[in-house]
Amino acid sequence: MSDVVLSVQGLKAYYMTRHFGVQREVRAVDGIDFEVRRNEIYGLAGESSSGKTTLIKTIAAAWKPPLQIVAGTVRFSFAPDILRCKPDELARLRWKHLAIIVQGSMSVLNPVRRIRESFVDFAFRHLGVARAAFDQRVAAHLARVRLDPGIVDAYPHELSGGMRQRVTIALATICRPEFVIADEPTTALDVLVQKDVLDMMREVQREIGSSMLLVTHDLGVHAHVADRMGIMYAGRLVEEAPTAELFRAPRHPYTAHLVASLPRIGDRTARKPLEGTPPNLAAPPAGCRFHPRCPLAMDRCRTEVPPMQVVAPQHRVACFAVRT
Amino acid sequence: MFRILRDLLKTNGEFALGAALTGLVFVIAALSFVSPQPPLDVYVVPPDLPPGWPYVFGTTSRGQDVFWQLTFAIRNTLLFGLTVALLSRVISLVVGLLSGYKGGWVDRLLMSINDTFIVIPLLPILVLLYFVMRDRMTWGWLALTMALLGWAYDARLIRSVALSLRHRDFTRTSVFSGMSTREILQREHMPYVLPIVFSTTLNNMNWSIGLEVTLAVLGFTDINSPSIGGMIYWANQHTALVAGIWWWIAFPVALVMMVFIGLYLLAVSLNEYIDPRSRLSRMGIGA
Repeated sequence: MSDVVLSVQGLKAYYMTRHFGVQREVRAVDGIDFEVRRNEIYGLAGESSSGKTTLIKTIAAAWKPPLQIVAGTVRFSFAPDILRCKPDELARLRWKHLAIIVQGSMSVLNPVRRIRESFVDFAFRHLGVARAAFDQRVAAHLARVRLDPGIVDAYPHELSGGMRQRVTIALATICRPEFVIADEPTTALDVLVQKDVLDMMREVQREIGSSMLLVTHDLGVHAHVADRMGIMYAGRLVEEAPTAELFRAPRHPYTAHLVASLPRIGDRTARKPLEGTPPNLAAPPAGCRFHPRCPLAMDRCRTEVPPMQVVAPQHRVACFAVRT
Repeated sequence: MFRILRDLLKTNGEFALGAALTGLVFVIAALSFVSPQPPLDVYVVPPDLPPGWPYVFGTTSRGQDVFWQLTFAIRNTLLFGLTVALLSRVISLVVGLLSGYKGGWVDRLLMSINDTFIVIPLLPILVLLYFVMRDRMTWGWLALTMALLGWAYDARLIRSVALSLRHRDFTRTSVFSGMSTREILQREHMPYVLPIVFSTTLNNMNWSIGLEVTLAVLGFTDINSPSIGGMIYWANQHTALVAGIWWWIAFPVALVMMVFIGLYLLAVSLNEYIDPRSRLSRMGIGA
């Protein structure tokens, strides 16, 4: 398919540490396949320590020891094999083709630098235009994210949280990258500002026609903006479906619990918690990693890893208990 | 910037006192440019006159006016302190930022050099150097030597800040956007540590002036260019205290103490302004 912008296949990334001769490997990302298409927002959800951030680091080719890529490929439409790119090739790709909005992006802006200087630092080299033209583009782009272009002379602390968030989104999208990775872009904001920022983000994304990988544990955010979404559990993808279908008819028991735990207007019954805790990724359970907590667990789940299987168009689930 | 200074003057007594003392000293130093007497000439005024008119601070046994002599001495001493402070700031900024940001073997190498300089005893080394270099030990060489010896503490301080900056998101984003190490250090990290550097500059001036005075009193510097320590050295040579010429020693000592107290108060109050933790405690929140 030609409109696939990102294709991840069999990706395994482990944290390998060796302390005092004791080898330890944390399997943070353990065999993940998925694709992101052009002009689409792919939502990735999962609880803390399910490997979301590690996955992002790997996809952006920004991993560092002790994190190691054990297997798999990451293919972008503009970079056939980003995991094996040389540093100078990466430097050319980043920001121009692949931008990132990092976790807690409130602190992406250096508190002692003006907004204008942050734009120059991060984006100027990639655009290849003269300084006056660059300033004009920054102003136009700030207007696009509904900010007063005058704020370029402000320091970050002079802006509100929502404004800062808009600035970071403007920073990430000014070069019109084909792919944007957003790691918890709205976690620190209150719901009203969050909705505003998300709408704006979607608008900008549609306008410049980029694809976006949106990572957050907030299912409300996914429901609001994501076209398709994937659910991660303990380093593996357990279910993937178009957003509406995933919320309407979740198939994997973990996803089902996740969706059932969401509050609904008018429903006052208490939510049943899922027993147990996510597994320790340094010593994950054999077979399906969800089996110790799974109400449907069978003998087979304890020994075999369930493969991703298609249960409906665009809907994939990794569970033996789900019938195709 | 100016508003901050004005507010500090208004609300912070220590800062106001420090600024007043330092300002006064700088005015005295500036007066050397209008001095009626050249600093190195002797027997230009009647010797051994007590403070009075027209010799406000009295005259020395070498026939020099203590007041005008003092203006030259304090100018040289301040200039010395500033030179040492600026030179050593450059070293400590480069070492501290690089070591904190790069980490790994760069950090270990730079910090082992750094710690060596921290534990080296300074006075014996400076005295030794004077005996080796003798007349070649001019003002400039001494300043350079002190700068090379005086950067280590502050490099560690800057490194500790750089260590935390290294893990901030803006640093990560800078790296991701393809900025080079030099650009990150210079454009992103340096503005962040400058307030701290400013405060340590004042302390470093105090330290270098103190050492220079010590060396000069003992006669281990170029005694012909007037300095505070040099004045005390000459007063001792002429047994000023025994002869009852107390003003020859008292005024230089008082002036250099004004420098110390003034710079110290400035450093402390600025530090308090810069350090968010002490700012919080001043506002009555937190420890």
